Amino acid sequence: MSSIMTIAWKEFKGFVKNPTFYIMMALLTLILSLLFTVQMQKFFQLGSMAMTQPGMGAQLNIHYTVFLNHLQILNLLLIFIVPAITMRLFAEEKKLRTFDLLLTSPLKSYEIVLGKYLGALMALFVVFAIAFMYPLGTAMFAQFSWAPLIIAFFGIYLIAAIYAAMNLFCSSLSESILISYVMAAILNIAVWFVSQGVEFADSQWARNILEHISLSFHISGLIEGTIRTNSLIYFFSGIGLFLFLNERVVESHRWR
Amino acid sequence: MIDVKNLTKEYGTLKAIDNVTFSIKKGEVVGFLGPNGAGKSTTMKIITGFMAPSNGSASVAGFDVFENPIEVKKRIGYLPETPPVYADQFVSEYLKYVAQLKKVPKDKINSFVDRAIEKTNLGSVRNRLIHHLSKGFKQRVGIAQAIVSDPEVLILDEPTVGLDPKQVAEIRDLIIELKGHHTIILSTHILPEVQATCEKVVIISKGKIVAQDTIDNLSKLEKGQGRIFIRLRKEVSDLRSVIAGIDEVMSVDIGNNKREWRIEYKGDDETIDKVSSKIVSNGLGLIELTPSRVDLEDVFLKLTYGMEKGG
Repeated sequence: MSSIMTIAWKEFKGFVKNPTFYIMMALLTLILSLLFTVQMQKFFQLGSMAMTQPGMGAQLNIHYTVFLNHLQILNLLLIFIVPAITMRLFAEEKKLRTFDLLLTSPLKSYEIVLGKYLGALMALFVVFAIAFMYPLGTAMFAQFSWAPLIIAFFGIYLIAAIYAAMNLFCSSLSESILISYVMAAILNIAVWFVSQGVEFADSQWARNILEHISLSFHISGLIEGTIRTNSLIYFFSGIGLFLFLNERVVESHRWR
Repeated sequence: MIDVKNLTKEYGTLKAIDNVTFSIKKGEVVGFLGPNGAGKSTTMKIITGFMAPSNGSASVAGFDVFENPIEVKKRIGYLPETPPVYADQFVSEYLKYVAQLKKVPKDKINSFVDRAIEKTNLGSVRNRLIHHLSKGFKQRVGIAQAIVSDPEVLILDEPTVGLDPKQVAEIRDLIIELKGHHTIILSTHILPEVQATCEKVVIISKGKIVAQDTIDNLSKLEKGQGRIFIRLRKEVSDLRSVIAGIDEVMSVDIGNNKREWRIEYKGDDETIDKVSSKIVSNGLGLIELTPSRVDLEDVFLKLTYGMEKGG
């Protein structure tokens, strides 16, 4: 366990010291700020309309109109942010031959993988902390219930965690940071398309299958503030699968 | 301490090492010698548990490298060909990280890091980013990384490559200093390095071990064969005719000029007697006569290059 934390901390410190990470976070802040204000404005417009047309206000909810859109945007951005965070974790080590150090240290392959994965999750936590600033700021002049918001954030964090597991696996496959980024982004987009495919599938049968493997289906419950066990099992088994594959790739280095 | 038996590693159809067997006792400093691409690095990587062999077995301190890799890795400090350093870390931060990875007990980490820094003379750069260090310093950080966990076995893959002569000398001194405390395997293709630091030599060529012995024994490889160097006061156009009568003399070669000669002979010390008395009785003015043994370079070339020529 201590080795896992050693690697995780080292990787996290690597992110914090890296100027690219700051540039990425600055861009994230810029995009989120622009779009969050737009959402807020829309909400206020709807609000003032509701005052003149009674009965419409019942539909109006800051959680749905503002925060969920905010999270949807974050969800979309994660497709490109997560690969940028994970791309160097294995690829760079292999390229610079520092991977030799990890492979000749008294570590099990799963410790290396989990350490790097936790490091990536810590970096993602920074991303979510930034995104959480917006509802936090809103709380200064509006009242809303926190529990569904936090559960929704948790849901999107689980999506980020799945992306991180998949993208870390991509990083372990290549020695090139660029290839690992492109591979990871394509995989994320592919997964995202599965969710879109649900709407376009013709047969009910195919739709059922797509629905159960799509992220958005499982996330919808969490986004509305309800935690379902089958979704949690789905997320954790997805993470587990890719970490396992990743561990196999690392282990295979010892047998070449 | 280290036992290697019938080790074979194949990359596809290419045999990097072929049936390599040797053993190293505790506290020995062993030079692993061979031309580029002979299989030195491959053998070392297998001993460190970095890669698995196609066949055969290796054990360190009684632990099999493949059945108990964690125990083996705890006992080994390894410097690969490229020092595995992270450019974005400070020297002391990096060494601390390595010590943690090598499972050094928490309360000893700081003292171990200080010791490694002191031994490798890194005190002046300990708070600098590795990215800003010169190649020589990076190499030293690599060595510090290998010794930071105070391992029983040190495996250094070409530790002096790319260093300037002063740094090479410093690293040699360091290895000599580490002698006795650690069992050291050192790979190189630079011969003086081995002569200066190692007691025992394993020569490997094309994946096979061609000789393993102490340096003393290797230097006397051909039994009863010797070489003398002679300096005369007078110039001689052909020393061969002067000492023609002695059967034991095998060859006579001219040195830098007609006053210096090299004689190779097969026989005991009496041959030297005979040669010197011939020279003196001919009034050539003997100034210097130095018996010299065949040096490591000759052995090395004979075993590696000579075999290729079929000699």
